[in-house]
Amino acid sequence: MITEIAWKNIWRNKSRSLIVITAVTIGVFAGIFSMAAINSSVQQRLDAAVHEELSHIQVNNKDFRSSGDIQDTIQGADSLMTLIEKTKGVKAATGRIILMGIASTSAKSEGVEIIGVDPVKEQQIFTLPEKLVPGTGSYFKSETKYNMAYMGETLARDLNIIRFILTGDALAKLRNEKVPELVITRLQSLKDQRFISEKAFAKAFEVLLSPSQNKKYGLKIKEAAWSFREGSKVILSFLDVNNVQTSAVFRITGIFRTNNDMFESVSLFVPGEELRRLTGLREGTYHRIIVELNSDDLTGEVTSKLRESMPGLEVLSWKEIQPDLALMADFMEQIYGIFMAIILAALAFGIVNTMLMAVLERTREIGMLAAIGMNRRKIFTMIMLESVFLSLVGGVSGMAVSLAAIAATAKHGINLVKYSEGMEAFGYSAHLYPSVDIKFFLITAVLIVITGIISSVYPARKALKLNPVEAIRGE
Amino acid sequence: MKVVEINDVHKIYHDTEVEVRAINGVTLSFEKGEFTVIVGPSGSGKTTLLNLIGGLDQPTNGEILVAGHRLSELRPSELIDFRMEHVGFVFQSYNLIPVLTASENVGFIMSLQKWPKEKRIARTNELLGSVGLSDRGNSRPSQLSGGQQQRVAVARALATRPEFILADEPTANLDSKSAEALLDIMEKLNRDEEMTFIFSTHDAKVMKRARRIITLEDGKVVSDETRTEN
Repeated sequence: MITEIAWKNIWRNKSRSLIVITAVTIGVFAGIFSMAAINSSVQQRLDAAVHEELSHIQVNNKDFRSSGDIQDTIQGADSLMTLIEKTKGVKAATGRIILMGIASTSAKSEGVEIIGVDPVKEQQIFTLPEKLVPGTGSYFKSETKYNMAYMGETLARDLNIIRFILTGDALAKLRNEKVPELVITRLQSLKDQRFISEKAFAKAFEVLLSPSQNKKYGLKIKEAAWSFREGSKVILSFLDVNNVQTSAVFRITGIFRTNNDMFESVSLFVPGEELRRLTGLREGTYHRIIVELNSDDLTGEVTSKLRESMPGLEVLSWKEIQPDLALMADFMEQIYGIFMAIILAALAFGIVNTMLMAVLERTREIGMLAAIGMNRRKIFTMIMLESVFLSLVGGVSGMAVSLAAIAATAKHGINLVKYSEGMEAFGYSAHLYPSVDIKFFLITAVLIVITGIISSVYPARKALKLNPVEAIRGE
Repeated sequence: MKVVEINDVHKIYHDTEVEVRAINGVTLSFEKGEFTVIVGPSGSGKTTLLNLIGGLDQPTNGEILVAGHRLSELRPSELIDFRMEHVGFVFQSYNLIPVLTASENVGFIMSLQKWPKEKRIARTNELLGSVGLSDRGNSRPSQLSGGQQQRVAVARALATRPEFILADEPTANLDSKSAEALLDIMEKLNRDEEMTFIFSTHDAKVMKRARRIITLEDGKVVSDETRTEN
């Protein structure tokens, strides 16, 4: 009966209750949806870190990470890889040769990490081969007698391998993408001109267009003019096993694009066998073994196991290599809890105010209830339930709106392309696909109930202080 | 059988610097089945006396015994339970719970006492029948007239078969016809269920039906008249 009265009481003043419910709905929606967006960004970053850059576990020669010396290789790497692959929870393992070197073109030079890989095995472990920019070649599939290199778009730009040319095809592409004819006409003056940097190209077309046209079509124009000739040359220089400077010409077999500019700007992949031939490294020697697991959740367990079985080597999980990411992943729930608690704390003031008005309006009625035998605990429970119901109705509706919004944006995502430069510098995608774990909803529900209870304390104490005699005298 | 015994009760209020003796040495007793009216001018202490008998307030001096309970010895939480179990209240302004239907209002105290549902429904229907509102059980207070609301209040007060009903100016907000109808019902319940009614009133219609009239002035009993016939 108390529950029923409390529920009915919140609908006595519908407009007042609906205002509070709406406020809670908006607050909960704002909390959940923004966390869903942040969560998706973190998840995408984690996925990219593990599946494109680091792998779950890395096994290194103990000194290699600090020295970077070509001689610091893993002894008996082949048999170790066989052993690792037999470990429960391991999906695949492969070795890498890693050299510090310089990549040069006729225009520029950049310091790079040259990574010698087994292309077939790498495809089983990493999604990086899938990040190939369409039309730029392949992941080591070209049939060529030349040395091959697979590099990131940022490095290719830095080395001026990427060109910007508004060819006839590029202008036709813009037309297909519904760029107005007026804009295309203005761009005609740049047709077939070659720009070796994005900055120079942007400067050239921006003066031809209005600020709003630049804002609206700038990215599309850059994308259309983006140009790369498969087989472009790059010279890689590094030290061989005898510490002799060695240089070799490599042809770009493909360009990949990730959300991590930093990774893209320093990583350059070549077939391990080519690097072994050029450096004189012995067959079966590697600097690093990377390990892919069947599940992210097994990382800690398998890392410990491998560490025990390979005491002479450095075994690191991705969490140890990038502790900032691990911290982010581990504390998402706590961050969300704090975020939501702040929102609900602000909403609590509104709920307290509403409940206080409701109690003061019902002074006589509450006094009468006490007079006819409703004890203090029941009166307190009634007021508390009213407050909890108000919060819960708003909370549930906020969660429903959030679910709808997440479902609506899950397919096409939220495009924050305007901020892509900044986000990608830190390895985060500018295209978010909001998602939340069911745990977030459970945390929200618990916090809402707590908010309702806390918000009821002051109004309920006011109600308990009412004197039934005064209520009757009030007549 | 004595239902209420009041022995030399005083109630003094301290209003800033002024001392107000609302009840000044009252000694009374009420027998089961009485239909008693307490009358007196405004400020004579009628409502204060009802509050003291009903355990809503505590005397400054003296003792009140109700159904074997010495009220001055009960703690506030015990007084609430005492009121729920032994006293039925009818207020001037009906004071029904607006969000509940007439049936739910009547069944409210029974549900506080955790009566089984079937028993509660049966008693509610019986009482609504007694007050002539069998067909209005599903109506909210706002859908009932003042007289009907007060009849629901009487049914609620009777629900758990208390020792007595305290009715503070129950007809004050009713028109003559409704007041007479309500008094008819109360008289019938008094007769059929031997329910004790103690009224405070200025209403001549109520006084006319009373079998005992106690007159208060300045917190003292100035007359206590028992009638053999109405």
